[in-house]
Amino acid sequence: MDIRIQPRGDIAVVAITGSVDGLTAETLLSTLQGHVQAGHARLVVDLDGVDYTSSAGLRALLATVKEARRRGGDLRLARINPNVRKVLELSGFVTILKCFEGVDEAVDSFAP
Amino acid sequence: MKRVAIVIGAGSVKCAAALGMWKVLRREGIDLDMVVGCSGGSIYAGVMALGYDPETCERLTRELWTPKVTMRRDWRSMLGAFLPKVFGFDGSLGMVHDGPLLEALEPPFGGRTFEEAAIPLHIVATDLHDGGKVVLNRGSVRDAVRASIAIPYVWKPWRIGDRWLLDGCLSDPLPVDVAIREGADVILAMGFESPYPRRIKSATRYAFQVNSIYTNNLLRANYSFHNLAHHAEIIPMLPDFEREIRLFDTDQFPYVIECGARAMEAQLDYLHRLLESPEPAGA
Repeated sequence: MDIRIQPRGDIAVVAITGSVDGLTAETLLSTLQGHVQAGHARLVVDLDGVDYTSSAGLRALLATVKEARRRGGDLRLARINPNVRKVLELSGFVTILKCFEGVDEAVDSFAP
Repeated sequence: MKRVAIVIGAGSVKCAAALGMWKVLRREGIDLDMVVGCSGGSIYAGVMALGYDPETCERLTRELWTPKVTMRRDWRSMLGAFLPKVFGFDGSLGMVHDGPLLEALEPPFGGRTFEEAAIPLHIVATDLHDGGKVVLNRGSVRDAVRASIAIPYVWKPWRIGDRWLLDGCLSDPLPVDVAIREGADVILAMGFESPYPRRIKSATRYAFQVNSIYTNNLLRANYSFHNLAHHAEIIPMLPDFEREIRLFDTDQFPYVIECGARAMEAQLDYLHRLLESPEPAGA
C-alpha cells in the first residue's frame, strides 16, 4: 500500500494505492492519525487506487474519522471503486461518511 | 497458527458460491478450522463440514433445493391461522407443507450428526419465542438445517429440544460473531443481500419480499457492528453476480460456483500473506 498526502489549502488529500487490509491498516492508521494529531483534521481520502478493504481497513478509517471530527474536522471519501463501495455499503459506512464522485468535489464540500 | 473460518450467510442458491470458494481453498491447501452457516448457507456449511467432496456437495445441494420443496401447500396451517375459531391456531404459520422439504434434506443430512463432522460446524437459527440467536452444534444436522431455513410464513418453525426455531436470518443473516467466539482469527464472510422481485405474484412471494426487507437491513447493521467491534480479520467475500439469480435457479449452479471461486481467487494472495504473517490477523 502506498499513501501520498498533498495539501490543498488547509485540506489534506490522501491518495491511497493498494489494499487496505489486516497487513496494511496499521500503517494507514498511524499515518492518518499522525496527520490529524499534527493539526490537519480536514481530510479527503482518494480511494481510486484502492481495490480492496477488509475489517481492519474499516476500523482504521473509522478511528481516523472519529479523531478528525473530535478536532472539528472530518474525513471524506472520494473516487470509491465498485468493489470497495460494496463493502462500505454493506458495513454502513456510506451512511456515516460523506462520499463524493471526485476529489475536487470532496475538497469543495469543506467550503463554508 | 491462525484459525480460519468460513461463514456462509443467507442467500438460497447464491450460497452455492461457497463451494467455489472452498474449491480454491482446497487447491491451495488451506484448511478450515470451522464452518458457520445460516439459512440457505446452513445447507452448504452442512455438506462441506460433513466431509463430502465439492462435486458431491454440488450434486446433493442441487437435488435438494428445487421448486418441489415449496409446491405443497399446508392448508391445515393456513386454515388454523385465518379461521382460528373453527380450526384452532397452534401458535405458528407455514403456508408450505414441510413434508417435501424434510424428504429433500434426507440424502445429505439424514442420520448425520454434528459430532461426526470432519470440520467443526455451527448452524444458526432463531428462537421463535424470545428472538434470540441460537447456535446449533450438537445432535442432528438435518434438524438444525430444517430450523435454520424455516423462512417465516413459508415454513413452520422447527422444534429442537424445548425451543421452536425459525430461520437464522431473522437474528443474524451473516453470523460472523459465531466464528469470532469460537476463536477464528481469519473469517471468510460470504454474505448476500436478498433480491427484491420485480413482481409479487403470490402470498408466498409476498412473504419472501417482507423477509428480504428485514434481512437486508439486519445484514448491514450486524455486519457493520462485527467489523468494527472485534479484532478478528473479516474478509468480505462478495461474489459479483452479473446475472440475476432467483430463488430456485439451480441451473445457474455452475455459474454461481464459478463466481464464488473468482471472489476467492481475488483475495488469495492477501489470504496467503495474512496466514504467513507473524502479526495478529486483524491488526
